Amino acid sequence: MSKRTLKVFISVLLVTVMIVSLLAGFQGTFTASASTKKTVEIKFFSNLPDRTSNQGKLEQMLIDSYMKANPNVKIKVEALQDEPYKQKFKVYVATNQMPDIFMVWGQPSFFLPVMKGGYAAEIKPEQIKNYGFKTSSLKDFMYNGKIYGLPRNTDFMVLYYNKGLFSKYNVKVPTTFSELLDAAKVFRKNGIAPIAINGKDKWILAILYQELVVKESGDQKLIYDAISKKSVSKNQILLKAAKDLVELVNVGGFQDAFVAADYGAANNLFAQEKAAMYYMGSWEVGMAANPNFSDSFKKNVDATYFPIISGGKGKKTDILAWHGGGYAVSANSKVKNEAMKLLLYMMHPTRWAKIGWQQGLVVPGQNWEKFMTGKETVLQKKLTQIFSSATSVSGTVWQDAFTPNFKTEAETLCQMLVAKAITPEKFLSKIEELAKLEVK
Amino acid sequence: MQKVLSDKKTILLLVLPGLLIYTFAILFPIILSIYLGMTDWSGIGKPNFIGLENFKKIIFSDTTFWKSLRNAIFLALAYVFVQHPIALIFAIMIDKIGGKPEKVFRTIFFIPCVIPVVVTSRMWVSLYDPQYGLINKILDFLHLGFLKQQWLGDMKTALISVIIICMWQGFGWALLIYYAGLKGIPEELYEAARIDGATGFKLYTKITVPLLKPVIKVNFTIAIIYALKQMETVYLTTNGGPGDASQFLANYLYIRAFNSYQYGYANAISVLFVIACLAVNIFFQKIFKSENYEF
Repeated sequence: MSKRTLKVFISVLLVTVMIVSLLAGFQGTFTASASTKKTVEIKFFSNLPDRTSNQGKLEQMLIDSYMKANPNVKIKVEALQDEPYKQKFKVYVATNQMPDIFMVWGQPSFFLPVMKGGYAAEIKPEQIKNYGFKTSSLKDFMYNGKIYGLPRNTDFMVLYYNKGLFSKYNVKVPTTFSELLDAAKVFRKNGIAPIAINGKDKWILAILYQELVVKESGDQKLIYDAISKKSVSKNQILLKAAKDLVELVNVGGFQDAFVAADYGAANNLFAQEKAAMYYMGSWEVGMAANPNFSDSFKKNVDATYFPIISGGKGKKTDILAWHGGGYAVSANSKVKNEAMKLLLYMMHPTRWAKIGWQQGLVVPGQNWEKFMTGKETVLQKKLTQIFSSATSVSGTVWQDAFTPNFKTEAETLCQMLVAKAITPEKFLSKIEELAKLEVK
Repeated sequence: MQKVLSDKKTILLLVLPGLLIYTFAILFPIILSIYLGMTDWSGIGKPNFIGLENFKKIIFSDTTFWKSLRNAIFLALAYVFVQHPIALIFAIMIDKIGGKPEKVFRTIFFIPCVIPVVVTSRMWVSLYDPQYGLINKILDFLHLGFLKQQWLGDMKTALISVIIICMWQGFGWALLIYYAGLKGIPEELYEAARIDGATGFKLYTKITVPLLKPVIKVNFTIAIIYALKQMETVYLTTNGGPGDASQFLANYLYIRAFNSYQYGYANAISVLFVIACLAVNIFFQKIFKSENYEF
């Protein structure tokens, strides 16, 4: 091969490569613009990878029925678990490629920066006029008085318990904290884990701590105020609640090595009837109908209020409740109107709330009592009763009410408290330090 | 052809893709990381330049950072002083056994390395389970019930439990590299030593270990880098808990970036992390600087 032919060969090769790659780039844009004319493609970003049960099933059902009703709309779902979801969400934000409709957590630690950054499209109050959202439920989806997202669920904490185990060992279902401690001792003696809890996840420990603070004080605002005012370490009620939590650990109130147990492990322990109680949120309402669990368990599972504390001011009906998950539409979406239509379609009370409730998949964010059929599971009935009898609710839990780093650090401190790496006094002074650093 | 290849333009043309990849995949991210380490970027919105604030905070007041670094060094020491001597002894034994058993044992010891870390980590979590776990069950069986622990859930045992998992997971690699090194030592050297009167243990300390020095060096370096980079096993077992008892640098960095949304801070950690890795490696290079044997 002569030098000349080789040069020509190399040049031709390079030019070909360039043209091919350019065309590949163009092709993407061509197909995208062509598709907007004929069919609309909506990118849907979800945190529910399990599309066959619970909320994921409901979400997919509604998406399918929307596509059926609107044949020109194609909805592309991308679903990831919570943690990977949060990461990819950040990547989308950073690269300005937000999906058209996406899941959000209605917590300042997650949604506030998104709303502030102008990434979510505004939802006009008249668009959701008859949707049955209470203003309080929209609070954490609002910024500067404007609505940017819609909550899908009502989340609240209850104490699930196993009726069978309580009657087998002749234990009274606890209504006070000291009864809870006594019950724990009896179950311990019989080789049953008293309360199953996912301590590795940390957030549950922070929520449990808040539960104790509320039961001690009867004041839902106390913990938020103490942190905002940075006067945590001297607060006797906060100290008492921390001591209560440690006492519960000391009597062996949780399963062994509960600080290393993740969500699935704790849930399994309870579902396999190896634990008598399970402190968890209302989103586990589907347990009573879960085909993966034994009939014996499904027959025995029940739920009750978290016990009150003798000497404390909190009532059993002072509960921790908030609206966690929800959806928002991207402000910069090319198909913003279509995405908004989809959101309003899904969140219409006759869809997410009604279908979700009646199939026992969720505890909806809107009022669900009008959709009750009488065929509900025990858990559905109990949870409805607990929620409707609530005399006060917490709103976004304390660790989520400030910055993301406050959340991470506060949750770690809670774990250190229960692992007895720090004393209750040290715990409070650390929280105060953290508040000074993170809370403006 | 020769002429074309010696043409400067052609050289440039041919080197360019590699250079570009290096620039954009390695150099650029490192520079960006150093820059982001000097900002308060949260991952959303625009980063604000805050100079060396993050670095100061990490070095002077971040106890978890130092604890993570300390834990990583513990792990490195455990690799070097526990895992590697055992791996070397096993490599020698496998080498000596010969024949079919040699292949069988070689395979058995290497199996943990081919199983995904996720699987082995979950397996160890089950083994450590205080209620159903095999370890506590065996202790019970041996009437050693008083030794039972809440392995991963206790401040006192979490770190050592994680280190044991890491050592187990990496054992096959260490063994295989030593084994390959042993295979490279010519039999004549042993024969010569024997003629000179060396026997048994002396044969190993005077012949095997010195001749394995380059292999040991490589193996140690790999182990130390691996210890500093440790992330998957920790993430899958304790996620650094209880508290920060079993926290490791890479996992801590990840938590800062993705849970606390402190990308700037996490980048600053990663810069210090790279410096720590380099420092430890230079230190080891110095230790092993002595001459290599030729054969």
